[in-house]
Formats: sequence, structure tokens, C-alpha cells
Amino acid sequence: MLRLIGIEFKRGLLMLRRYPMEMVGQLIVITMIFYGLFLGARYIAGPTAQFGERLDALVVGYVLWTFALFAIGDLSWGLMDEARTGTLEQVFLSPYGPSRVYLARNVAGLLVTLALNLGILLLIQLLTGVRLDFSPAVLAPLGAVLLGAYGIGFMLGALALLFKRIQAFLNLFQFVLMFLIMTPFEQFSGTARLAGELLPMTIGAGQLRALMARGEAFDPVVFGLALASGLAYLIVGLWVFDCAVRAAKERGLLGGY
Amino acid sequence: MSVLVCENLQKSFPSRGRSTRAVQGVSLRVEPGEVLAFLGPNGAGKTTTIKMIAGLVRPDAGTVRVAGRDPHRDPWALRQLGAVLEGNRNVYWRLTPLENLEYFGVLRGLSAAEARHRGRALLERFDLTDKQNALTQQLSRGMQQKLAIAVSLVHEPSLLLLDEPTLGLDVEAAETVKQLIHELAEDGQAIVFTTHHLDVAQQLSHRVAIIREGRIVAEDHTDALLVRFSGEQYEIEVVGKIDAARRERLRALGAEPLDGRVVYLGAPEGLWDVLEALRPLPILRVEKDRADLTEVFLKLIREEERA
Ligand SMILES: Nc1ncnc2c1ncn2[C@@H]1O[C@H](COP(=O)(O)OP(=O)(O)O)[C@@H](O)[C@H]1O
Ligand SMILES: [Mg+2]
Repeated sequence: MLRLIGIEFKRGLLMLRRYPMEMVGQLIVITMIFYGLFLGARYIAGPTAQFGERLDALVVGYVLWTFALFAIGDLSWGLMDEARTGTLEQVFLSPYGPSRVYLARNVAGLLVTLALNLGILLLIQLLTGVRLDFSPAVLAPLGAVLLGAYGIGFMLGALALLFKRIQAFLNLFQFVLMFLIMTPFEQFSGTARLAGELLPMTIGAGQLRALMARGEAFDPVVFGLALASGLAYLIVGLWVFDCAVRAAKERGLLGGY
Repeated sequence: MSVLVCENLQKSFPSRGRSTRAVQGVSLRVEPGEVLAFLGPNGAGKTTTIKMIAGLVRPDAGTVRVAGRDPHRDPWALRQLGAVLEGNRNVYWRLTPLENLEYFGVLRGLSAAEARHRGRALLERFDLTDKQNALTQQLSRGMQQKLAIAVSLVHEPSLLLLDEPTLGLDVEAAETVKQLIHELAEDGQAIVFTTHHLDVAQQLSHRVAIIREGRIVAEDHTDALLVRFSGEQYEIEVVGKIDAARRERLRALGAEPLDGRVVYLGAPEGLWDVLEALRPLPILRVEKDRADLTEVFLKLIREEERA
């Protein structure tokens, strides 16, 4: 598995490097957004501003939003692209099996994006002299949210395998993500709260709000639940993806048809 | 052990309410070092069969064994199989040839160092070394196809599947790819390839299987198949005119004098009498008519149509 992650990491970096303009553009956009946040342009954070008014909260909220969006859509976009160009079947010829290859690709993709974002953040901190200080505890629920996001990503990947053109549906998913991350289910009560927290990513997002917007202490029990939810969604996502792979082989849907 | 054993493969696809019976009971066997040409008209079920062998399409019935293992049950059976699929890029255009070899080598179970090492050797062998750091996108179609074949061999599989390897290539590129397949065969690589180009099949294959509407209609050693479909007909070419008396003798022997040549349809022993009758005209050529695969193919397909 490490070997796979390693080679996917290399592939990811090489692909980035091949289109330097694309990468530079991406870097500039990320830099500008972070810079804007640092200068106090709160509106840039958009809906994620509700994670708190302070700079570090804005940054965390923004990072959560972009990473979750990436985690949810990246696999499906990749699958559609590979089905179109005709490398999908070669990936499926791997004895590791597609779910492990794509899991490795996700991990590698996350590492690349993480490295880019951290690099830029550090640079801006150096340039502006402003220090972010959020407790490392926020990284825990952030990770839990991402696990859930990747779970959803695999479920959407399953749809991409079976239905090919799901671009419109993927774009729609932004709103679903917004609903899941922004609704303060942790402040609901009774069944509404229970139902809300059974949804993917909601517990972790709630904990982030508690930590950052309301300044509450880190609650390991809540984190445990967030992590369990994230893992459960990831496992279900992988299972659904495997089922879709089987169905696609049954109907001969890999590649052209 | 056979490199490939397929037994009674069947596959139907649902399409617009009806179901297409793409493959209806195909059995194939390939021994180590053997090259099997898999021929058939468009839509006969070649690609579907290839994909069932590669574990990419699940058969409704029947079994596949690649070097003794079932790719549908045991993913590591794929370790013994390489495939270049029809009409696909098969490799990443944004990566260089060497990067593709390394990436897919690891995906097939090698370490990165092994994959790079074997990748370099394959590029050398396939004459692509000077392109190893160019983007695959920028290579010619022929080179891209060679690279796809190299990538499918990087993990040294026992069986190579090539679905229409010369399709869409210009004459020269097709010739290069053909030469490459020939060399691989010489080195003892077991290969199953499909093609529309019957001359390619005739030159490269040890055995031929012809499929029509999902069924194998002929399967034999390429030579045996050619002999079976060749007529019992000799053609003799001579210099000079054949005079009237000779014409008569030839006709009596069952030979047909045409200008400058004689066609003989009788028993092979009778050929000596025909030659005797032609003495002392200088003979340019004596040849037994030999069917080529195109004729065999057309005959079989037509026979089937009539049936
Ligand atoms: N995934 C699929 N879904 C529906 N029909 C298919 C699918 N794959 C192949 N077919 C049909 O099965 C038949 C055999 O196709 P194929 O194996 O591609 O033939 P060949 O490669 O010999 O040209 C054709 O009629 C084709 O339309
Ligand atoms: Mg085909």
C-alpha cells in the first residue's frame, strides 16, 4: 500500500508539473484567497465564515471547505476523465484492485494539496508577520470530516463508473456539502440532532464550530464519534465502490461502452 | 501448464430492451510460446472475449484460467497478464514513456526501482530510448502503440493480450508494430491478438481461431488451416507458345492450357505426366495454389451465412 501511495504521489506531482501554467494559476488563486483572508476580507471565506470571526477560524473554515470539496469530487472527475481517454482499464488491470489504487491516489492527492496549502500559509505568515494560532486540536475533527468526505467521494465514484456523465450531479453536490458542513446540528435537540449527526461529516464540522466559534474545550468523546462516523462512511464508500466495480464488469461498462 | 484456458465463455449484454448475445460458448487454449490470432468480423465478440480473459468483463458462464489462476476470483492472476486494449490510449499522455513504465510497473506489483530498471530495458529494446523523456502526447501514433505494448510487458506476464494492435496506424507504423510482435513471438512470449488485417494474422500466428456471431467457427494451426482451404490446383508457367498438339495432350490429362501457363486440377501424381507433355518448353514456375487467410476467412464467413 505504501508503495502505491508513493507512486501515486510521484504521478500526482509529475502531472502537476506538466502543466506549469495550470499549477501557477492554482497557486496564485490560493495565495490571493489566503492573503485576502489575512487582510481581513472576511467575505472571501463565504459561507465558512460561520466557523468564527477570527482569522484562524476563517482559514480553517476555508481549508475545510476546499479540501472537502476536493475529497468529494476528485475521484469522480478522475474516473470520468480516464474512461474518456482510455487509461481506466489499465488501472483496473492492477492486481491490487481499483479501490486500493484509488484510495492510494486519494491519499497522495491529499498530501500534494496539503503541502501546497501549508507552504502558501507559511509564506504569507512570513510576509505579513501575522501569526495564526489555532490549537492543533482542530486538526483532529478536520481529519474526521475529510474521512467522511472521501467516503462520499467513493460513493460518487461508484455513480461515475456506472453512469459516466455525472458532471451536473457533481456540481449540485456543492450545495449538499454546504448543507452538511454549515448546519449546526450539534445545537439541535432530539431526533433532529440525532438524524443530523448520522449524516456524513456533521459531527466533525460541529466540533470545529464548538472549538473555534464558541471557544469550547476539545471533547474527546465528540471527536471519537466524529472519527467513527468518518471511518464508517469511508468503509461504506469503499464497499459501495466495490459493488459498482462488480456491476460495471457485469454490464461491460468499463472503457468505451 | 497452459498459459490460457477458456472454457465455454458466454456473455450477453442488455441493449435497448433486448439482449445481445455477444459471446456464445467460446473455448480457447494457448500454450507457452504460442501466438494465437483471434479473427472475426466487426461485432463478432473478439473484444468481449479479450476483456473476459482480462477480468474486465464478467462472463455469464464459463471459466478463464491464466497460468492456472482465475482473474475473476483471484486478482493476483492479473500478475501473469498484460493487455493493450482496442482504441484506448492505454498510457498517460501527460507522462513520459519511462514514467508510464514505472507507474504501471508498480501498479502491477513491482517495486519502483524494478519497474524503472525493466522500463529502461524495454525502451532500449523497443527503440524508444531517445524518447524516454519526451511527453507521450508528443510521440507518433506508432510509438505510442509500442509504448503501450512495452507497458503491458513491464511485469513480465506469461500472456500478452493485444486487441487490434495495428488498428488506426499508418502503413509504416503498422509494419513496425507487426515486426515488434514478431520479435516478441520469437522470444517465446505467448500472445493472443485480434486483428482485421488477415495478412498480419497469417504472418504472425501459430494458430488461428475465427469467431463469428459469438461462436468459434474454425480453430487450427495456421498452416493446417491454410492447407485445408487450399485447392488441389497446380499452376505451371512456361516460356513460349503451347502448340495445338500439346494443348490436346494436356486437355486429355485434365490440365487447362491458358496463354503462357497451364492450370492442373487432377491428382498430384498426374502432375508428372503434365510436365512430360510440356517437355522441352522451359518452365518458369510450378506452384500449388495456396489459400491465404483472407480466402479462408471469407469462405468460412460465407458458409456460415448460407447455413
Ligand atoms: N458493454 C456492452 N454493452 C452492450 N453491448 C455490447 C457491449 N460490449 C459489446 N457489445 C455488443 O456485443 C457484440 C460484440 O462486440 P465486440 O466484442 O466488441 O466485438 P468485436 O470486438 O469482435 O468487434 C456487439 O454486437 C456489441 O455491440
Ligand atoms: Mg473489437
